[in-house]
Amino acid sequence: MSGFDTLTAAWMVWDGPAPAPRGVVLEQTRELDKFLAEVERRAFRIAQVALRDPDDALDVVQDSMLKLARNYAERPSAEWRPLFYRILENGIRDLQRRRSVRKRFMTWMPGPKEDPDNEAQDPLDSVADNSIAAPEQLMQDQAMKKLETSLRELPARQREAFMLRNFEGLDVAETASAMGCSEGSVKTHYSRAVHTLRKQLGEVW
Amino acid sequence: MNEEIVEPAHRALEERSRTVFNESVDSLDMRTRSRLNQARQAAVAAAAMRAGRRSWLSRMPVLTSAGGVAAAAVLGVALWSGGPLGHHSPVPAAESTFEDLDLVAASDEGAGDAMEMLQDDIDFYDWADKAASSEPAA
Repeated sequence: MSGFDTLTAAWMVWDGPAPAPRGVVLEQTRELDKFLAEVERRAFRIAQVALRDPDDALDVVQDSMLKLARNYAERPSAEWRPLFYRILENGIRDLQRRRSVRKRFMTWMPGPKEDPDNEAQDPLDSVADNSIAAPEQLMQDQAMKKLETSLRELPARQREAFMLRNFEGLDVAETASAMGCSEGSVKTHYSRAVHTLRKQLGEVW
Repeated sequence: MNEEIVEPAHRALEERSRTVFNESVDSLDMRTRSRLNQARQAAVAAAAMRAGRRSWLSRMPVLTSAGGVAAAAVLGVALWSGGPLGHHSPVPAAESTFEDLDLVAASDEGAGDAMEMLQDDIDFYDWADKAASSEPAA
């Protein structure tokens, strides 16, 4: 009966596979994977410089990737970079805030106090490294340590501006978007950061 | 101060620091790389799952409309094939059938209602269909 043919057709529509969006989703997923693969290691190093702790840095990068994927994956891919770094910088700031609250709380508690100079030292750092490193590798490590030390002495906003502009190649507008401030502020923070780093590293570099 | 005019010494600092940073990124240990890779896979999977769920949900209005059409078709077939309703109807059978069909089709905007009605009265339609096929010619 033709009536039942119509009914069958209706149920085929109901149960049929998803049309075009599946391909779109696949393409979008590939693009997101490519983007995250490009930024993940750099983001980790940025977080590590700011937080001084590799595990915390990994946590923040992981959270940032998840947040970008869940909330902004459907945005145009050109917007992902400033969005991702904004999420990352917010995550770093949140963690630093939590740490400072915990430190303040700990000063009121009885018992051994945290040594601020020793706070971020990894116990593994004191273990002798028996591997033989190439001289270039040693020089590179030393240069990075000096750079890290100088970057950590900068005010947070200056450090953010310098790393996003110089290391990640974000332009002024993207950096402003990532930092949540005006373009003028980015220029000021960046200029001050370069001057301070020049003073600190000038003799060595 | 014009930010675009950069002193050569500052330019050198920018370039040197960028090189050192890039080298430190390239020399990340395998454990960290592996954990970052896992984190990325999890993020991409979350995005794909979310996008897939959304595309399925976006089909719902179409599906409910299709359900409404299907309900109208079932009712139309049951009535048109000369069910018992025709005997008690004060209006001619064909006219009554098309009126009922219009009523159900008109509820296409709230097609969910039509589907619920169909589910609630499924026994009735089943009975109506059997009755129509077993009823002796009058």
